[in-house]
Amino acid sequence: MKSTFLADLKRATEWGQWERVRDNWLGPAGIPARIATNWVQKAPQNLRHLLSREREGLISFINIRLQTSQTLEQLGVNHPDQVPGRFGDLRKIFDSEIQQCIDEVDLGIDKTAWLGRRSGVLAQITENWLKTSSPELKRVTGQELNSLRAHVEAAIEERQQSITAAAEGAALARERVDLSLPGVIRPIGSRHLVRQTFEEIERIFLSLGFTVVEGPEIETPYYNFEALNIPEHHPARDTMDTFYLDLPPGSEPHLLRTHTSPMQVHTMEKQQPPVRIIVPGKVYRRDNPDATHSYMFHQVEGLAVDTDITFCEFKGTVEYFVREFLGSAAKTRLRPSYFPFTEPSVEVDANCFVCMGKGCRLCKFSGWIELFGAGMVDPAVYGFVNYDSAGVSGYAFGLGVDRLSQLKYGIDDVQLFFQNDVRFLRQFP
Amino acid sequence: MKILYDWLKEFVAIPFSPEELRERLSLVGIAVEGVSETSAGPLLDLDLTINRPDCLSHYGVAREVAALARSELRPLSVKLAEVSESAARATRVEIECPDLCGRFTARVLRGVKAQPSPDWLRQRLEALGQASINNVVDATNYVMLELGHPMHAFDMDRLAERRIVVRRARAGEKVRTLDGVERTLFPDVCVIADAARCVGIGGIMGGAETEIGFSTRNVLLESAWFDPVSIRRSSKTLGLRTEASTRFERGADPEMAEVASRHCAALIHELAGGEVLAGVVDVYPARREPLALELSRKELLRVMGANVPDGEIEAILGALGFAPRRTDQGRDTPDSPLARWQCRQPSWRQDVAREADLIEEVARHYGLDKFPSRLHPSKQPAARLPYALAEDRLRERLIGLGYHEIVSIPLVNEEEDALFRPAGVTPARVTNPLAEDASLLRSTGLVSMAHALAWNLNRGQRSLRLFEIGRAYRLQNGAPEETRIVTIGATGLARQQGVAESARDYGFADLKGDLDQIGALAGRFDWNPETHSWQHPSRSGKILLASAGLRRVGGSQDPELGRWFVTVGNTVIGAAGQLATRVAERFKLRQDIYLAEFGLDPFCNGFGLARSGRKYQPISRFPAVERDFSVILNDGTSFAAVREAIAALGIAEIISVEAVDLFRGRNIPPGNFSLLVRVTFQSPEVTLTEGQLSDFSSRIISALEQKLGATLRTT
Ligand SMILES: [Zn+2]
Repeated sequence: MKSTFLADLKRATEWGQWERVRDNWLGPAGIPARIATNWVQKAPQNLRHLLSREREGLISFINIRLQTSQTLEQLGVNHPDQVPGRFGDLRKIFDSEIQQCIDEVDLGIDKTAWLGRRSGVLAQITENWLKTSSPELKRVTGQELNSLRAHVEAAIEERQQSITAAAEGAALARERVDLSLPGVIRPIGSRHLVRQTFEEIERIFLSLGFTVVEGPEIETPYYNFEALNIPEHHPARDTMDTFYLDLPPGSEPHLLRTHTSPMQVHTMEKQQPPVRIIVPGKVYRRDNPDATHSYMFHQVEGLAVDTDITFCEFKGTVEYFVREFLGSAAKTRLRPSYFPFTEPSVEVDANCFVCMGKGCRLCKFSGWIELFGAGMVDPAVYGFVNYDSAGVSGYAFGLGVDRLSQLKYGIDDVQLFFQNDVRFLRQFP
Repeated sequence: MKILYDWLKEFVAIPFSPEELRERLSLVGIAVEGVSETSAGPLLDLDLTINRPDCLSHYGVAREVAALARSELRPLSVKLAEVSESAARATRVEIECPDLCGRFTARVLRGVKAQPSPDWLRQRLEALGQASINNVVDATNYVMLELGHPMHAFDMDRLAERRIVVRRARAGEKVRTLDGVERTLFPDVCVIADAARCVGIGGIMGGAETEIGFSTRNVLLESAWFDPVSIRRSSKTLGLRTEASTRFERGADPEMAEVASRHCAALIHELAGGEVLAGVVDVYPARREPLALELSRKELLRVMGANVPDGEIEAILGALGFAPRRTDQGRDTPDSPLARWQCRQPSWRQDVAREADLIEEVARHYGLDKFPSRLHPSKQPAARLPYALAEDRLRERLIGLGYHEIVSIPLVNEEEDALFRPAGVTPARVTNPLAEDASLLRSTGLVSMAHALAWNLNRGQRSLRLFEIGRAYRLQNGAPEETRIVTIGATGLARQQGVAESARDYGFADLKGDLDQIGALAGRFDWNPETHSWQHPSRSGKILLASAGLRRVGGSQDPELGRWFVTVGNTVIGAAGQLATRVAERFKLRQDIYLAEFGLDPFCNGFGLARSGRKYQPISRFPAVERDFSVILNDGTSFAAVREAIAALGIAEIISVEAVDLFRGRNIPPGNFSLLVRVTFQSPEVTLTEGQLSDFSSRIISALEQKLGATLRTT
């Protein structure tokens, strides 16, 4: 319709029949009037608003074109003061049109309509108003025209940007990843929990200046028992039921060490005080397997010997370890006990972290949990390694790594450590 | 040991509830497992350490209570109404083996009436887990629980010549013990005999033939003391452990033998009537003076690091029976650093024989919580294990490659171990295994790995990657030897199906690739095609470590995966491959299993060398250019041969030779395969020209054609 109108207008202008075109299009029998009676009023409710808007758009288009196809003089403008009003009307029309552009196509049409090089509104104004205007109108017309052009260009640019942004936004929204879908999970392994506990213990004692040493799992009875003050018929051997090795006749007897303590003796045989070591490793006791017993388990032995170590240093070290290992809230108590190679001997207890000392099944309703055995090195042991028992003193401890891991992570069955079920292993990455 | 709270109160005033007492006793080293209620009142269940046989009795525990409560222990005394006739005339005792039996006392009671015990006695015994038998036997048990000394009552009329001979058992001598079992003895066993035969195993269990029954009239009451080591040895060898043997092997109180006998005789008299003959027949070869002990404050401070006041020391040692006496000059100076005490070892505390033991007695009753805590500075730098860093890097890489660390028990089934055992390895067996399946120390970690894989596959876990850093064991010239090893096991999918990826099975190339990435930490792994019988014959090989004298030629793009080394020597350090079907069957492994094992020590050595030899390789500023050669080769031609043929050209600009595709069939003639070789060229000094590149290419093509009979494939 617009193009029909423009063709009409072009012809009419050439032939000087401008008024006829105006009456044809805006008169009571003009197309907008017919649209009003035949389309808008008869349209269903939901289309009526749209149609009437389109109709208004058509009217303002026709108005602009009618105006800009004439000279100012033809429009009856002969005083500079009248000029801004004319431009103001155009600007209002432009503003309302640009508001209605919702996509690139709309905007393209609008842009051509206003900025088109030959038949755009602004080109028409330049051609019909500016070039033909009298000298007294020319200046203000030029100014107004520039101002309108700047406004139109800026508004189109702004609209262009917001339409592009909206289009991009819509595309991104369509391509949006589902964040609840899993990513590609590359398999990653884990350190065994026993290893993690070893490392934790090592870390704590390294910070206290302990050096890590290792020893053989297959030992002689001398290192496993005798040199630790456990002679052959000592009742303490009952608590350490032992696996012996089947060796050719005449060989020195060997056994699977029942604790990591033999490295105390090996180390002191090789080195004079000060000694400060920890010994991680596997140990074996011939116990039938159950939730708290395995015939192979892990220990970290500790030994510190010097000329100036007393029970107080021992206590400080043990308490430091427990706090580092179980957390700063852990309380420690030392309870007298007995081991053949320490004197005094103690059991190190921590306050029960399940019941906070009130009493529960884990702590057998005592409020305390036994962590490990320790004590001051028995002077008899120094005799086996040619240390001067009157001049040196020290302490030793034997941490049960599996037991400490069980306590720390609430694992009720020690067998889980050695079944190596990946459903268990994965829980401790 | 179970202790009745009310019974304790007969010997000492207890200012604590049973629960408080539990805590107090535990804190002086008498661990109480729990407190329960019985028909005989509250019961404390003690978990005694083996050094405290004195606390295997109510009186012994009462002494600890007295010391910790600083209250009085009631002295033992009993009125025994004896007739004028002396026991010595009624019986005779001889000890032929004083090394085994240090004391034997006998009391004689006549005309007793053995009958069921009264309720109060039964109640106490039953609360403590002792079955009531008759009033005479119950009296011996009751006094044992009260005073800690085991005793035995004989039916005197059944003793031949009514006399006792304590001697070694004769070879093959038999006795039927009270439990009805006939036991064959051996000469190290101390037996109680009459004039004719053995009537009991000394310190362990009486004989059935002289047992007290309801017809018994006359009783000979034995209260003796036996050597702990001999009791322990006999009890172990005979497989017979009793309340009596437990007390004697830990060390009973020889002085208590007579006291307990007197108390027991009085109780039998009270319960069973009759008359008690005068005196006791007492043969006591082991009698000795109490051991003198000394405690100095200097030593106490040296060991404990903090002072304990004089008053505390004296009160504690006094209450425990050590009779401390200050002996130093400055007796009037309280808490003098020079203070010394002379003490006497009580007969019931043979475990306290040194100054260190006295210090422990003082410390535990003074309270370990009263000693301050201190940290002491280290005088030496701390060090990790020598190979800790290599192990860290290895573990970290394995984990990054998706392997979970396992820890297994290295005791395994002998036959299963044999499936993996290298030729010439003597395995280390255990003489006393708990089970056949755990009778041998593994000679490789592969057997444990196979079990770990099977465990998981049987539980629906189908894709697995595991590793273990452990030890293997063997006998070398009859002596045990331990080797540190790394074992790897994998099966199932290498890649899981997902929205962004398709599934792919784990294959030999995965195993080899992962091992090569590990090998790069220690130099490089090389491979040779030898296989062991556990390995699949076509998908396996041996791993060699090329590490010594490692030097990169030409500079590789990826320093860790550098493919050009000059190596001085390759050592076989392990093996890798698919598990042979026959072996997989044995473990019921129903999907393809890949295993590898190599020595940790050579790896760690290689790690150290590689690390110390590692130098920055300048990165060329000039572009690298790739050229692909698609060649048809005869089956059996290895990629190594291709690489060597190219390397032999000595073109310094070649920085890598890679195989990027391989296939058979389609339009490739049978007996041949197609290989796509990608060669990368780069110069550190110039941009390579087209002319140079086409010269390199044609030399490569003619080398492959001439050396390997390759045909260039045109596409
Ligand atoms: Zn608790």
